[in-house]
Amino acid sequence: MSKESRTAAPALERNADTAAHGPLKGIRVIELGGVFTPYCGKMFSDLGAEVVLIEPPHGCPQRHEPPFLDNIPGAENSLTFTYYNSGKKSVTLDIESRQGQELFRLLAADADMLIESTQPGFLAALSLGYDRLADMNPRLVFTSITAFGQEGPYSKFAYSDLTLLALGGLLYLGGYPDSAPIRVYGNQALNASSLFAAVASIAAVYAVIMGGEAQHIDVSAQQCVALALESSAQILDLEGVVRKRFGGQQRQAGTGVFATTDGYVCVMASGISSPRFWNNTIGWLLEERVPGAEALQQPEWAGIDYLGSEEAKRRFGEIFLPFAASHTSEYLYQGGQRHRLPICPVCSPSQVLKNRQLRARDYFVNVQHGDSGRVLTMPGAPYKLHKSPWRLRGGPPRLGQHNIEILGRLGVTGNEVQALAGVGTI
Amino acid sequence: MSAQQQKGILSGVRIADFSWIGAGSYCTKMLADLGADVIKIESSVYLDLLRTSRPFKDGKPGVNRSGYFADRNATKRSVTINMKEPRGRDVALALIAKSDVVCNNFAPGVMDRWGVGYDEVAKLKNDIIYMSMSMQGATGPEKDYIGYGMTITALAGLQFLTGLPDRAPAGTGTNFPDHIPNPCHAAFAIVAALIHKRRSGEGQYIDLAQTEPMLALLGPAILDSAVNGKLHTRAGNTHEWFAPHGVYPCRGDDRWIAICVETDAQWERLIDVLGNSPLLSDEKWSLQLVRLRERERLDDLISRITRDWNSDELMHKLQAAGIAAGVVRDAPGVLHDDEQLKFRNHWLRFEHPEMGETVYNGEPFRCSKSLVGPLRAAPLLGEHTLEVCTSLLGMTEADVQRLTAEGVLA
Repeated sequence: MSKESRTAAPALERNADTAAHGPLKGIRVIELGGVFTPYCGKMFSDLGAEVVLIEPPHGCPQRHEPPFLDNIPGAENSLTFTYYNSGKKSVTLDIESRQGQELFRLLAADADMLIESTQPGFLAALSLGYDRLADMNPRLVFTSITAFGQEGPYSKFAYSDLTLLALGGLLYLGGYPDSAPIRVYGNQALNASSLFAAVASIAAVYAVIMGGEAQHIDVSAQQCVALALESSAQILDLEGVVRKRFGGQQRQAGTGVFATTDGYVCVMASGISSPRFWNNTIGWLLEERVPGAEALQQPEWAGIDYLGSEEAKRRFGEIFLPFAASHTSEYLYQGGQRHRLPICPVCSPSQVLKNRQLRARDYFVNVQHGDSGRVLTMPGAPYKLHKSPWRLRGGPPRLGQHNIEILGRLGVTGNEVQALAGVGTI
Repeated sequence: MSAQQQKGILSGVRIADFSWIGAGSYCTKMLADLGADVIKIESSVYLDLLRTSRPFKDGKPGVNRSGYFADRNATKRSVTINMKEPRGRDVALALIAKSDVVCNNFAPGVMDRWGVGYDEVAKLKNDIIYMSMSMQGATGPEKDYIGYGMTITALAGLQFLTGLPDRAPAGTGTNFPDHIPNPCHAAFAIVAALIHKRRSGEGQYIDLAQTEPMLALLGPAILDSAVNGKLHTRAGNTHEWFAPHGVYPCRGDDRWIAICVETDAQWERLIDVLGNSPLLSDEKWSLQLVRLRERERLDDLISRITRDWNSDELMHKLQAAGIAAGVVRDAPGVLHDDEQLKFRNHWLRFEHPEMGETVYNGEPFRCSKSLVGPLRAAPLLGEHTLEVCTSLLGMTEADVQRLTAEGVLA
């Protein structure tokens, strides 16, 4: 890789057509596919960056994760892989081989950013660590996402999404008062780590574009989880109170999940927003002629301490539960919102897919699955940037689909790609 | 130390921050921690509700005493402007003219009514980056519907999916989208827009519906439903293909440990660490399919053994055997007991004029060549009104005093 081509880095190019292709067009990202990297890479890809997913020859971990298309396992069938990796380019590379390492270095030499989530020290032992790669490519932002950060007493601990939620403190807050703590659905510790990594990384890329130095970003998944504790640490520090889990119960009177004829609604009649929403709730219940609603106008309900009491929860329940239980979630949603109450149905994924607001905003996108040609529907833009929009760059890449294109850019010929595949390097 | 090491990555970026309560404030707080000059525009006439939310220092309410507010607003500057006053709008527009980014998380229409909607602002400064993060977005039939983090989890499916199958949905017990999905997505989009501006000269409007980033973190479940017609239920702590995978009681009151066994070899080591208890001696448990099929029975047997263990001791023994295990930390656990969070200096303490020294979250990332905040305690309400109005907006001290007395800068 010549010095010239590096200084003519696409990331520094001004007047790129970022309106049509996304604000990150021309930025090259190498994602060494691991447990914590997928959503981070996706965020860059969907705003226009070229994200090259480096996978071991048998595929990255997500290729083997359920759910699968038609429930049939297979490296090209994972819907989890499809969601997180559509639009990326797949290159297979055995970075534990000398040849693989050399190709990896060449890729990194030509990139603006590297995302990796290997165990601390692993890449350095292969001469692929931050120091070595930054030496070769001074404009490379190098982002390491690990369970506990690069150093420290737990840095070599085994982990999973569940154990990270536990050690980060969020698990303790989930579940029912009479059950074990219960985890939030959907690998959210892994997602959270990707998200914070993405924010720090894009800021670091911005700094390089503005003429600053590139750097190493060291993300701890455990700390990312700790950011989700709401005010739990402050409640202990300031008031000496340990916050507990309250699933299935009202958090304060009027705030919680209530059964309806066809599911549940989530209501926040009290809490941070009181007393406005409390009064709106009363207005609604009176209009609905709910028996006993007048009692909610009594002065004791104005006190936040009273709202938190068991008596208040019981009294509110006696009035609201029979009302909720005799109407549909949709009826309660529309009625409560008409009265400016934060209320909504508790939706299953199949109900989410029918949500009329999301439909009106064209939220869902269709992506074509390579092998079957099937059109798959999934969540789309999480933000609408009016001048440089979010855009899915393509479907899920087949394993090694872009070997020839990407390695060719490094000067590897078609015949050589076949030779590398023959010995298992790619 | 180089010049860069003494400042944040985003130093030089200024944000006129109309955010309040949850997601917006945490977004701009992250940008402040990365070095941006975040000026929070708030008012004593209609307070940021977080200023009046628990916990308060010593349990005593006060607009400068909320620990919840403090954690979400560290490192920012606070200016009080009564946006319901026309002259308040003029001051706000002057501040926006000196800013790169405007951020707010009000319902659609609020900023327009104040005369600082995108169209108004773009006339004044056409390269402004304008982030609006309302509950359900700026368009669509339910754009005016109101909600908070907890209702967003319900609308987006997270609440439904979290909990036990035979009980009401439990959710996270928090306003989850306010803390991670929405602030992170918004901060990412803002910096992406800064890059677009650097490369094209253009600013832009960004419409973020807070339901949508939450839903973006449930992609596989949505695909499973859309493609396979899957009807989801809640699954507690179970895993599709690993068992044991769960949370088990330990010695003491409400003490728990999370354990995940992914391979047969790990299973053998788990039995070993648990002292080869006769409860688990049946050979059948060495088979993954048996462990999956009879996971409830298995969880019960493991619980009977773990309940006599100290949770930290068991975690260390299991980790030494290469098994993913983690103590379920409560607030004292994360704040005082966890060796790794201590090592990473996750919890920071800052001195505040009214609250004294209190605890703040650090950021979960380190940057090798730049300073990462938070750098100082949350601002008092209006603490920087005079400073910002004089040094940035060129007003005189007398102007500021007059406008304060007249309820404009209030």
